[in-house]
Amino acid sequence: MTAPETRGIQITNFRKLYGKTEAVKEVSLSVERGELFGLIGPDGAGKTTLMRAVCTLLVPDGGTVLVQGRDAARDIAAVRARLGYMPQRFSLYQDLTVEQNLRFFADLFQVRQKEREGRLEELYRFSRLGPFKKRRAGALSGGMRQKLALSCALVHTPETLVLDEPTTGVDPVSRHEFWEILRAIQKEGTTILVSTAYLDEADRCDRVALMHEGRIVAVGTPEEIKAGFRHVLYRLAGRDARELRRFFSGLPQVHSTQLFGDAVHVVFAKKPGQSDWEEWRHALEGKLEHWSPERPSVEDVFLELIGSGR
Amino acid sequence: MRRIVHMTQKEFRQVFRDKPMVAIIFAVPIVQLFILAFAITTEVKHTKLMVVDYDRSTVSKDLVLAFVHTDRFDLAGHTTDLREVREGMRGWEVQMGLVIPAGFGADLVRGLKPQVQVVSDGVDGNSSGIATGYAHGILAGFGADYAAVQDSGAPPAGLSSVRMEERMWYNPDLSSQQFMVPGIVVVLLTILPMMLSAMSLVKEKEIGTMEQLSVTPLRKHQLLAGKLIPFLFLSYVELAIVTTVAVLIFRIPMNGSYMLLALLALLYLFATLGLGIFISTITRSQQQAMFVAWFFMVFMIMMSGFFIPIENMPPVLQKLTHLNTMRYFMSIIRDIFQKGSSLPFLLRDVVPLAAFGLTIFSVSVLAFRKRVG
Repeated sequence: MTAPETRGIQITNFRKLYGKTEAVKEVSLSVERGELFGLIGPDGAGKTTLMRAVCTLLVPDGGTVLVQGRDAARDIAAVRARLGYMPQRFSLYQDLTVEQNLRFFADLFQVRQKEREGRLEELYRFSRLGPFKKRRAGALSGGMRQKLALSCALVHTPETLVLDEPTTGVDPVSRHEFWEILRAIQKEGTTILVSTAYLDEADRCDRVALMHEGRIVAVGTPEEIKAGFRHVLYRLAGRDARELRRFFSGLPQVHSTQLFGDAVHVVFAKKPGQSDWEEWRHALEGKLEHWSPERPSVEDVFLELIGSGR
Repeated sequence: MRRIVHMTQKEFRQVFRDKPMVAIIFAVPIVQLFILAFAITTEVKHTKLMVVDYDRSTVSKDLVLAFVHTDRFDLAGHTTDLREVREGMRGWEVQMGLVIPAGFGADLVRGLKPQVQVVSDGVDGNSSGIATGYAHGILAGFGADYAAVQDSGAPPAGLSSVRMEERMWYNPDLSSQQFMVPGIVVVLLTILPMMLSAMSLVKEKEIGTMEQLSVTPLRKHQLLAGKLIPFLFLSYVELAIVTTVAVLIFRIPMNGSYMLLALLALLYLFATLGLGIFISTITRSQQQAMFVAWFFMVFMIMMSGFFIPIENMPPVLQKLTHLNTMRYFMSIIRDIFQKGSSLPFLLRDVVPLAAFGLTIFSVSVLAFRKRVG
């Protein structure tokens, strides 16, 4: 652990109200410098609110937000100059070309002339947008738009990069590519705070915070999060997955069940014995063919934490 | 300062990238100028006249010719039955009836004061009033000419000894274009800056780029300056185009100083650009902005004296027009064009225009927020 002033992002007792609704309730969080940190949770969990506070876009109703040691509510100009933000909605000028968009943001951030060309080349290289320089932003595909938005947020080589659900609505191949790019940016020493509603993307982060209804319900590396799973997960396969699920969800020692393609994930309160399995196989008249313990995913932990999924 | 330049540059790029927008900015004003200049006219021409001639003398024929020789009246027909005039008016074929009594010619020759009757369709009160005025003028002229021909001696006792000589100063032909065209210039200088600046600011909100701009070191005044300078510039280009068309094509005499016009236009543009900013603060989409701008525009045009004279309005509404910045610029531009007034004569309008313009502008700038949430 490092001192709060030297951390990438330090959020302490942050609160934000919209009217009478508490969007974020007393949240504290720290992101180390150079870390790729994921903010994970469903829509309406308060991820965007928290990220906009980091980006100096809203004033907290309580608590403080420090970005690279600077107060995001007071030292606004200094924070903005060293921060890159990619909002959830694509928000570049669709009627300007890729190059015009990049140069416009380079102008606004007053990137020095001698550094500019080199930086633009770098950005074209990793985003692979070079061949599309003259294309209008509005004519790009979803994945390319996200890469352009990312490039615009990076044009001034920020210390901190904040990305609000950058992979939402992007095809799986582009999503994969996007995460690779984030890793490459991290290697430059950039602190990255990224949010996502896809729980499976948690594994791509150094550390994650799971958010639900304005609170953080768990923080840690993906491994630590998974290790926090208190129940026992089994993967079951057989001839009729639906029938299997119906049978197991009726048992008292079962916490929750979920269909996973042809298989069923069953969460038990405690590990069942061999005799239990024999008994169930018998009761199901051979429909249960295979069972094995399964490593829980972040999604399983999340569902357990928020107490749903039954 | 450099950021303002970049913002301005970007804004120009966006305006010129948008081809329909370029058309709206440059072609529409000219089309509007042409259509409005010819359509909005307060002159009354080609009134359809039916003659009921009970006299049938050479004198009465001369009188009818005196009417028909002007382009103010067209002969719709002759009749000896007054009822036909009534029928004609019902069928919109006759707008005025001229009844010449029997013995009219003889009476006039004898120096008596014969009377004729003029019947006018009063449905459109304004036009019929004007047409009746023309008829009055023709009759007076006819009487005088006839008397002069009859005896060149003493003035005839019958016709009035006090004669009115009419001289229309500044606009001798009473051409309504001379009055309307400068007014149209004002209307165009309202639409472009108000609507375009409001829409361009709201567009940034609507497509989310305002959020992206918010996290850049771009300051509010830099953003606004970068947004407004292009529209200020385009407004002047439009002013130049429209003034050129007015002077060269419509032959509107420009009696005043172009410099003064350009200078005072700046005050008015402060007001309209300010309104544009204001509209952008109270709306969220371009569509909303357009509706609100439209609302402002209708109010401003109606209450400006553009084609409804302010003097004709009820006192309460007359007072309300003092809140309308367009009112002041409307009378300034007409004064400059037609009377060639210099600044001291315009102060009555310039002072309130400046006060409103700068107030609207500063209040709107203060109300404008870069942060969206």
